[in-house]
Amino acid sequence: MTSIGTGYDLSNSVFSPDGRNFQVEYASKAVENAGTSIGIKCKDGIVLATEKIIASKLLAPGKNKKIQTIDRHVGVVYSGLIPDGRHFVNRGRDEAQSFKSLYKEPMGLEGLISRLGYFVQAYTCYNSVRPFGINAIVGGIDDSGSHLYMVEPSGVYWGYMGAATGKGRQAAKAELEKLDLPNISCKDAVKEAARIIHLVHEDNKDKDYELEISWISKEETNGIHKFVPNDLLEEAKKYAEEEAEGRNDSDSASGSDSDSDEDME
Amino acid sequence: MNHDPFHWGRPSQGTYGDYNYNIAHASNVDKSNKSNSEFPKMHTQQPMITGTSVIAIKYNDGIVMAADNMGSYGSLLKLDDLQRIIPVGSNSVVGISGDISDFQYLERLLDDLEVEDSYDMENENLKANHLSEYLTRVMYNRRSKMNPLWNAIIVAGFDDNDELVLKHVDLLGVAYSSPTLATGFGNHLAIPLLRQKVETEDDAAKLTKEEAIKTIKDCMKVLFYRDARSWDKYSLCVIEKSTKSIKIEKDVKVEGMKWDFAQHITGYGIPQQ
Amino acid sequence: MQKAIPSTEYANEIRSEPIEHRFNPYSNNGGTILGIAGEDFAVLAGDTRQTTGYSINSRYEPKVFDVGDNLLLSANGFAGDSTQLIKVFDNRLKWYHFNHDKKLAISSAARLIQHMLYGKRFFPYYVHTILAGLDEDGKGAIYSFDPVGSYEREQCRAGGSAASLIMPFLDNQVNFKNQMDPESNGTKKKEIRYLSLDEVIQLVRDAFSSATERHIEVGDGLEMLIVTKEGVRTEYFPLKRD
Repeated sequence: MTSIGTGYDLSNSVFSPDGRNFQVEYASKAVENAGTSIGIKCKDGIVLATEKIIASKLLAPGKNKKIQTIDRHVGVVYSGLIPDGRHFVNRGRDEAQSFKSLYKEPMGLEGLISRLGYFVQAYTCYNSVRPFGINAIVGGIDDSGSHLYMVEPSGVYWGYMGAATGKGRQAAKAELEKLDLPNISCKDAVKEAARIIHLVHEDNKDKDYELEISWISKEETNGIHKFVPNDLLEEAKKYAEEEAEGRNDSDSASGSDSDSDEDME
Repeated sequence: MNHDPFHWGRPSQGTYGDYNYNIAHASNVDKSNKSNSEFPKMHTQQPMITGTSVIAIKYNDGIVMAADNMGSYGSLLKLDDLQRIIPVGSNSVVGISGDISDFQYLERLLDDLEVEDSYDMENENLKANHLSEYLTRVMYNRRSKMNPLWNAIIVAGFDDNDELVLKHVDLLGVAYSSPTLATGFGNHLAIPLLRQKVETEDDAAKLTKEEAIKTIKDCMKVLFYRDARSWDKYSLCVIEKSTKSIKIEKDVKVEGMKWDFAQHITGYGIPQQ
Repeated sequence: MQKAIPSTEYANEIRSEPIEHRFNPYSNNGGTILGIAGEDFAVLAGDTRQTTGYSINSRYEPKVFDVGDNLLLSANGFAGDSTQLIKVFDNRLKWYHFNHDKKLAISSAARLIQHMLYGKRFFPYYVHTILAGLDEDGKGAIYSFDPVGSYEREQCRAGGSAASLIMPFLDNQVNFKNQMDPESNGTKKKEIRYLSLDEVIQLVRDAFSSATERHIEVGDGLEMLIVTKEGVRTEYFPLKRD
């Protein structure tokens, strides 16, 4: 970023001479250091997961949920500034509600994400506001199947088979690419999600985290966005830990790392 | 003064110009084909397509409720497959009679409420007592705007403590609860029959589910016999406290009717052996 | 909807106007209420029947409420307005506590209710309101209101459908109107004295069972809330259900 300090980064709605909007790029910085969130498109639905960093030991475990619902069939998870995410979700809820009020049927994912894209983009155009400091992964099922999108602070959104954002996004993307998407079942994807979050957290070990996983599946939840049941979550956590141990074992077997026992939980 | 026989007594046009018909409804011109902008804004003054009675009774382990599947347009059978008992979440059902467009509006409000409740993906917080209070407020506020939702509603289900709730709300925002409830014609035809079985909460505590269902079915039969704007197909909702279940059976038919010549029916004319 | 009205004997002169069929936002839901103040207590009682027209909606729908701060409130008439009024009062009382952190005196509660009622002077709450409690000296107090907020402190007051049946009885039995001192041989009025709680309860029960006999909208049950310096307690007595 060669133009930093030239004054072109102080406001939205102002381009730098080389055609960049620095405020938007800074917003992405806010995302890059936040807890990792991923979304997986499966053959029967969508799985969302997030690594929720525990800011204080006093926070009640199991409360303070981060994954949210936009409509019965749509879930969101985001990395970045939580209040920005809340504002984003509220707008999604309003859009979904007014769509259903008008057309009786639930809002399609394509339509919803396009409205949300416009909404986020608008915050890059005015100097009285700042862009959203989040990358939001929006997933859901409508009558044309399951969809997974990720919206960035610029307002751009892409459809994904596997999406990852936050601090551990690079490692997570590498892991997601190894999966057989989108032919994986939701049930398997829950376990893989747990594994990936567990894996990418290793770079952030000094902080505690809580795993949160939700899904929208035709077979498992009747197309409704729900947190995965507790027993499945526990099973997934166990799988993630076993996988991590296995990996460490094989690592130490090959003698690559001497301090691998440190990585054990 | 104008001496034309059709305008006798009015100020003469020559002197005073055109007569102002707006004075005291004095118009003799049919305004029906003009834009009605000179009329004040109209609110619902009468229901259009309507649903007839909803009835409900408490028994020792819950509530049985029924409402037929008809929507009438005056004396025309306009809709014959209309569900008027709708579940709201898994703790409540709502049975609605009266104007069907208002019913569908309420259906929308309740669906929004349900979606908002589901934002919390872990608990269902929306219980029947909240619902009845909400509907009472909606109905009262609309009546206070002189623009009522033309309905009578029966709410049934469970409250925060999983206790039974059975409440009636009408278009004025008047709410009440009782072990037997009915809207519309049911108030005159079904309530006496229901109260014969259940006069007090103590009676309700003695009534079995089977008896309650039979009583409601009998009432639906009487209503079909005697209420001209009723139908023999109806929804039957059974709420059970011990299992915390709410089941809605659709398309139940009125059974065991007698349409013989009255002479052969017990209760008419000469007593039968 | 339109109707054609031949306005004069000239047959071809036709006036046309919409039929006036106004929605009536009120209904009368029957019932009656009664408040009596004693020396160190007050009672507020109401029957539990709710009606519309000739129909009994419910045999047990309470309309006398303990609203907190040792105050009893009941609004009798149109049940929609009654619940609304009490709901609004509940809310105002809550905010009074937030803002001032002290108990609402009954005289202040009465003035507040006047404002609430008069605030809807041109679309009134169609209710007869009675407030009961203890005053600053610990003496029983009854305040009664007309639908638009005119109010007065009294020793006793009946409201609602059977008010006109009960009120003269109260005049005679509580304020000893038209009663003479038996000793004086009809020359001296009977001296006014406070009634005991037992006497008052019996009086209220008699008033309601008599009103039940004579008024179709009254009956089913009598719910009596009694306020003393110890707090509020409730008593229930069945009435005839016919």
